[in-house]
Amino acid sequence: MVSKKSCVAMLLAGGQGSRLGVLTHQTAKPAIPFGGKYRIIDFPLSNCANSGIDVVGVLTQWQPLELNAYIGSGSPWDLDLSSGGVFVLPPHMKIEAAEWYSGTANAIYQNLPFIEQYDPEYVLILSGDHIYKFDYADMLAKHIKQNAAATIAVREVPWEECNRFGIMNTDKDNRIIEFEEKPANPKSNNASMGVYVFTWSKLRELLIKDEADPLSSNDFGKNIIPTMLNANELLYAYTFNGYWKDVGTIESLWEANMDLLKQPVPIDLHDRSWRIYARNIGMPPHFVSRTGSVENSLITEGCEISGEVKGSVLSAGVVVEKGAQVIDSVIMPFARIGENAIVMRSIIAENAVIDKDAQVGESTGDIALIGNSMHIKEGTTVRSGVQLGN
Amino acid sequence: MKKDIVGLIFTGERMDQLRDLTRTRAVAALPMLGRYRMIDFLMASMIHSGMHNIGIIMQKNYHSLMDHLGSGREWDMHGKRSGMTILPPYMSRENYGVYEGLLDALHSNLSFLRRSTERYIAVCDSYILYNTDYEKMLDEHLAKSADITLLYSKHKNARRNGSGVYLEIDGEGKIKQLEIAPGIPRYENTYLASFIMRRELLIDMVDRAVSSGHHHFTRELLIQVLRENYYKIYGYECKDKVWVLDSVDSYFKTNLDFLDSDNRGRIFDRKRPVWTKLRDEMPALYAKGASVSNSLIADGCVIEGQVENSILFRGVSIKKGAVVKNSIIMQDAFIQRNVEVQNCILDKQVIVRENVRLVSSPTYPIVIAKNSTI
Repeated sequence: MVSKKSCVAMLLAGGQGSRLGVLTHQTAKPAIPFGGKYRIIDFPLSNCANSGIDVVGVLTQWQPLELNAYIGSGSPWDLDLSSGGVFVLPPHMKIEAAEWYSGTANAIYQNLPFIEQYDPEYVLILSGDHIYKFDYADMLAKHIKQNAAATIAVREVPWEECNRFGIMNTDKDNRIIEFEEKPANPKSNNASMGVYVFTWSKLRELLIKDEADPLSSNDFGKNIIPTMLNANELLYAYTFNGYWKDVGTIESLWEANMDLLKQPVPIDLHDRSWRIYARNIGMPPHFVSRTGSVENSLITEGCEISGEVKGSVLSAGVVVEKGAQVIDSVIMPFARIGENAIVMRSIIAENAVIDKDAQVGESTGDIALIGNSMHIKEGTTVRSGVQLGN
Repeated sequence: MKKDIVGLIFTGERMDQLRDLTRTRAVAALPMLGRYRMIDFLMASMIHSGMHNIGIIMQKNYHSLMDHLGSGREWDMHGKRSGMTILPPYMSRENYGVYEGLLDALHSNLSFLRRSTERYIAVCDSYILYNTDYEKMLDEHLAKSADITLLYSKHKNARRNGSGVYLEIDGEGKIKQLEIAPGIPRYENTYLASFIMRRELLIDMVDRAVSSGHHHFTRELLIQVLRENYYKIYGYECKDKVWVLDSVDSYFKTNLDFLDSDNRGRIFDRKRPVWTKLRDEMPALYAKGASVSNSLIADGCVIEGQVENSILFRGVSIKKGAVVKNSIIMQDAFIQRNVEVQNCILDKQVIVRENVRLVSSPTYPIVIAKNSTI
């Protein structure tokens, strides 16, 4: 028996995330470490838990091993429930065909039976690559009050960046009257955040129709939303004013990490009323030795620091040896920075080793990136903007 | 691999020398090494030795222990085929819920011993920190066909001034004599208050000893059994370093000992993690101008000031201009601007207001009780 739920969340976590370069060669984007002890997916999952949404389907496709292992039973987010919880939903074989998820809408379509088990009134669609704290319950309440077919979370972006986003043009009641994908001459600066609430009966019908259309690319932004607007459905924008960051590129992932070091901090992770939960790996407190020094940084349990760390975010189990300098960088779990090595404006991925006297990145220019388990040999120099990975 | 042995942790010790640190908590609940409690290390040793059934005997002030252990989820001890059982005191006709010693406690919890299905049992007290492999101890127990195997250490750390139990052991490892709380011990082998035996034999011995009016396991039951010279009692040496927590001084020194990476390596191993209750704190945040040296810092700390030779538990905040040296600062303590703290143990949620100086000598650390504001 599966109990009825008013709202089910579906988290789109299947994209390759190719703009993250070597970082996503072996790891799905939502499983990428962020902010020292988190993974990107901790944000939407914790938001669900904090919003009281207790059924979350995670749609995976690209390199799911690490992501599956990370989600596990869902206990870190209190999503290991008898009547719900978190479910990893990979594409699977069916009598008609075995097919990959061909688009965001298709991924939901392929999982209609999963959603229908819960007979929900509403479905929340989320992305797996955003850093934000969001009360989905408030958005859902507005959706219900306005009797909308769909409610789309939007936020104001700088006008000059509008050409990177899907822009929602609204009337004075916040009803969406027009949707423009990456407009050159935007009429508003309300960008879609990729967070949608749909009334399930409407969405279900649309997904089935959309699937039958051979010309459709089965995508929410390109197909489902425009179709709804053309049919004059009630679509509302929900304005979100908090911190939100799409971490789909190397640059933005680095920036979002650096945002955690700003004063005042734009996204407070100390907030007890809205905890961001993460799977814990059970390491002792971090240690700073007599030769170590740390300033303006976030340091996670299990780190051993004998060098100098400044303006950086270190994940669990990172070792910074004597004389090494780590400046304005993001170091992911269990990476090792050898003696007298210098790491500047870089992202060093999990288990990477930087041997002694090596230098990665420069004080200006693009972010340098060293992929998972890469080994940078003694004395090597890796210039800014260079990406090395397996 | 699951082993045919049940674990039993006794947390009812009275340790008056720990002063305010144990006024409201059992020794097993003592906060340790920045994010743990004493019991976490005992649980880790037992679980990594293949024990899937662990009982925890509680005596007084056990609220913090219960809260800490919860359902046992963090230890993966909340399953159908594995689990921990919290054994609080209770009143019955022959039992007033107050244990004079371990023997009383065992007697009160005979139903747990009877209900367990494992052939062997390992029992330990909770005031000694060590990393021992009960699996190897059990192997040796079986290889020697011993009836009882006592865990002991030759390490000088294990010795206790005017107290402790010392063992005379012969060439084969057989225990000849026990010496209890001598002024100057004659033997270098300190009993680590932990033993293995057959579960049914323990039930039998407890029953017999209680009916002769005894309360204490070591100084009554064990001594008696040794005297009878019927059972084979062996020693098993814990070769690695041990730490005894029986006074404020030893608590202070033990914790600061873990600023040494060799000692951390003795207890922490990535392949044998020590689990504890989770708090979901963010990583420690260092502000501009923070300065930290030779210190262990847990998640959730916010450091603006200076920290040296110290241990900061989760959620500690050190404001600008504050200096903390040679100190242990427990969970959620708040050190305000320009405070000086030296050779102190600040219990949980202590607030030290601006410009206060708390300076003691390294041989007599000041203990500031939980929730105090200075």
